[in-house]
Amino acid sequence: MPESSPAIELSGVTASSGGFEILSGTTVSFPEGLCSVVMGAAGSGKSTLLKVAAGLVVPDSGSVSFRGADMARFGRRDEFAFRATTGFVFQDAALWADTTILGNVAMPLRVHRHHLGEKAIAEAVRQLLGRLGYDESLTIRPAELSAGEQKLVSIARAVIHEPSIIFMDDPTSNLDEDAVEKVFSLLDELRNKKRTIIVVANSSDLAFRFADRLGVIKAGKMVAFGTYDATVSSAEAALSTSLARLRARGNRARAPADDAGAENSQRGDV
Amino acid sequence: MIGQIGRATRLKASALLYGLGFFYTVLRETVRFFRKSQVGYKVLIMQILFTGYEALAINAIMAIAIGAAINVIGSSLLPQFGQSQLMYTILIIVITRELGPLLTAFVITARSGTAIATQLGTMVVNHEIEAYMAVGLNPVSYLVVPRFIGVVVSMLVLTVYFNIFGLLGSFIVVQIVKPTPIMEYLAALMSTLTVSDVLSGLLKAFVFGVVVSVVATYQGFSVNRASTEIPVAGIKAVGLSFILIIVADVLITLVQYA
Repeated sequence: MPESSPAIELSGVTASSGGFEILSGTTVSFPEGLCSVVMGAAGSGKSTLLKVAAGLVVPDSGSVSFRGADMARFGRRDEFAFRATTGFVFQDAALWADTTILGNVAMPLRVHRHHLGEKAIAEAVRQLLGRLGYDESLTIRPAELSAGEQKLVSIARAVIHEPSIIFMDDPTSNLDEDAVEKVFSLLDELRNKKRTIIVVANSSDLAFRFADRLGVIKAGKMVAFGTYDATVSSAEAALSTSLARLRARGNRARAPADDAGAENSQRGDV
Repeated sequence: MIGQIGRATRLKASALLYGLGFFYTVLRETVRFFRKSQVGYKVLIMQILFTGYEALAINAIMAIAIGAAINVIGSSLLPQFGQSQLMYTILIIVITRELGPLLTAFVITARSGTAIATQLGTMVVNHEIEAYMAVGLNPVSYLVVPRFIGVVVSMLVLTVYFNIFGLLGSFIVVQIVKPTPIMEYLAALMSTLTVSDVLSGLLKAFVFGVVVSVVATYQGFSVNRASTEIPVAGIKAVGLSFILIIVADVLITLVQYA
């Protein structure tokens, strides 16, 4: 599959909640094998955008497609195959409160790789959590962990089954600096493996370091989306305080992905 | 004014249709649950333990007390009309056909209905439902169906227990008022008990179990985003379940006796 072919595409998506429109005709294409970072102020629609892209929120209008297939037409098997291919990190961890840490992280393997057996699954969970610096017991419940530890467990749950597309909602929130570095190492590894990573974040550090594609969402509209350099220097981005911080950091070492598929760069809603 | 009534009616009608659609989905997923191996079996076992096993004691105490009370009232009233022989008939009809399923349903509504609604509501607010969807688990088949089956099975078993303990309570009073050998007491009961008494009680238990579980799960999922909605969902689950249980009870009784 060509590197720049779209993994997930949103076309004219409108979504609302409680009578309020959160996304207003958003159009964006997240390329396969690259890390796309979408930034925006609180309440701009970042999390809803991510949930719509992941098929967790059904849009009021518009279409969402996964590798060219309209997700609205997914049957039960298509949906299950899509879930086997994707992982989702929630902003507030969203761990299952009545399930142990082992049970939480093991669930995607039990659902999608049940042939592995419980022993291998437990070992895989132990190894992954160890790499993320989690050193608490696996048999305790999420309520016994700090918010940062819960976030690490949530990240582990999203990647344990080695999905090819990972959705991340502010993955470094609530984390201390050491934990952020561990998450960045994991992101490095996922990026090297050419996984498609779609992140919505407030962290300019994360965008500066990982964004192959950078987007800005404002009041439910994607006002800019393209290569990192193109978005940072765009006129619309000048209005974004997040991007102002990135501009202030100056040029970064140009990632190969900035060139690859650069012709695919686009602005949202255009 | 007319517009408001129209809007309110439309909202109620759409909520009713949504509820019927939810019920249909639960039934469809229940059939699928038995057809394929599921990770939801653990949830089912936990539900039966909570709803059935843990409610045994309160159900038994209530049944013994009710059985005793019916016997005390019956044995003081019936002789005045020269109808002492009706004691066993009244015991069987009141306990197996009416109070067994009804009071058991009330206990299950108060314990499990509220627990299910608030637990699911909390899961919605904490995005745990979305997390299940994200890993490929259908929330209805993983969370609702095991609770549905668990409550229905528990309801049936607890009703049978209520009947047994209710008749036991009556026997205890009989021993105080007019000591009777247990075999004689059982023989009198068995000669009065008919298959339709048992089936009637079990039919009601089944229907009440369906009502409690579907209403509680529906109310739990109706929580949108605020934690303040969670106790409201619990209260609505109890209120609506009580109303529907009584309506179902009257309808089943009407069909049987009309």
